[in-house]
Amino acid sequence: MEKQEKIKILYVDDEINNLTGFKASFRMNYNIMIAVNATDAMQHLSSHPDIRVIFCDQRMPGKTGVQFFEEIRSRYPKPIRILLTGYTDIDSVIDSINLGHVFRYIKKPWADDDILGAINEANKFYVSNSLLAVKNEELQRAYNELDKFSYSVTHDMRGPLLSILGAIEAAQHMDDINEIRKMLMMMKDSVRNLDDFIQSIHDYYNLNRGELEIKEINFNELVKEQIEIFNFTYLMSDVTFNTNIIQKETFRADVLSVKLILNNLLSNAFKYQKKDNKNKAVDLNILVENGYAVIDVIDNGVGIAENYLGDIFNMFFRASTQDVGSGFGLYNVKAAVTKLNGKITVDSEINKGTHFKVLIQNK
Amino acid sequence: MSAQFPNFIIIDDSRLDCFIAEKIIQNSGTYSSIKTYMDASQAYEDIKNGDIGDDSIITIIILDIQMPVMNGFQFVEVFEMLPKEIQSKFVIFLFSSSINENDKNRLGNYPSIIRFYSKPISKDTIAQIIEQI
Repeated sequence: MEKQEKIKILYVDDEINNLTGFKASFRMNYNIMIAVNATDAMQHLSSHPDIRVIFCDQRMPGKTGVQFFEEIRSRYPKPIRILLTGYTDIDSVIDSINLGHVFRYIKKPWADDDILGAINEANKFYVSNSLLAVKNEELQRAYNELDKFSYSVTHDMRGPLLSILGAIEAAQHMDDINEIRKMLMMMKDSVRNLDDFIQSIHDYYNLNRGELEIKEINFNELVKEQIEIFNFTYLMSDVTFNTNIIQKETFRADVLSVKLILNNLLSNAFKYQKKDNKNKAVDLNILVENGYAVIDVIDNGVGIAENYLGDIFNMFFRASTQDVGSGFGLYNVKAAVTKLNGKITVDSEINKGTHFKVLIQNK
Repeated sequence: MSAQFPNFIIIDDSRLDCFIAEKIIQNSGTYSSIKTYMDASQAYEDIKNGDIGDDSIITIIILDIQMPVMNGFQFVEVFEMLPKEIQSKFVIFLFSSSINENDKNRLGNYPSIIRFYSKPISKDTIAQIIEQI
């Protein structure tokens, strides 16, 4: 464990003897600051916002300990407040709890063990309070993201559904069977888009919440499996697909992430082809050596305009009007690469094609 | 009602939505011509260059909001910077499957947008549009 910085403790008392005694007893274990009056105490608080525990004497000239605590509570809510007093009148105890919101009440003269015990408890309370504050902040951020996310997701899921609804409506006034067939094909694409989108959300969730599952990867088998399972066939019909896989060593990584990267990059390469190109081609090169896997996915398709290259990994960003993308695929790819501590680069020219290069480290 | 029905331009990145709108307008019978664009920037170019639009008949633009490259609002923004004599040949109706409060509030800023409709487009919507122009 790293050497921890000493906990900062402030002690306020008008009797110098008490202050020096306190400091002498506890300075080995804690960073003790002392103050003879409220003004000095305030100075310590403003220059040390990380003071965790404040001890204060109840009977001081001009101001009682309870009044002091009451005064500082709204401005410095974080330090834990402990009252010290030689007088055990019940009224001051009640006040200290109700007005000063003190954590502990210690009788003077104190026993060192009482002070140590109180500091210990107060520190635990302080730490859990601070953690709670951090968690609350994270939660608020997550809520805000969820708001944006759910709006976009709702839109992207309703889009295809409403298209299909509209198509059904239109079909009721259509007599030409060829026209109806044509529309059915488009409806099929809509269903497929929706399904892809739902799959992407599932991937997104897995990437953000799921644990890593490090396994041995045989790239030849993995690629074969991906092509079969994900049914690229409808995209691949007139595209030449070349694979060149050289695996010189055993490779271990999170399988789900690697699959997701391959699946998304390949389906993009097949999807964003030039419609009138007679020689549509996608190359997949994988080289595993020296503790790294280098994956290249190269197509001669429509390419990405230079001014969009910086945005393609952003959520819901779509750079093309050609095909209905989810705006989710490359975002997930980037997240997966990051999860694997890898790197992804892209090189593209409009109407020439796109080259994605992924570098992943062997685990 | 005037003997001459309006022209229609459909701008939507979904091929199916373009097709549906086209069929529904065809079935209504209340049109002179229909043209579809899946890329709003292409539609803008054609309007700017006078390749589309008519001096004697109004052209109705059926415009989707969420589109890549140039979305519906971006289209309206550049459209409203065109010379008045070009703009006056067109009226715009905005369509979307959903709209957030921000976008709803923005609608008022664009005088060329006549109205917003939720998708899907139907024959009643087309009838309403024809009545409004």
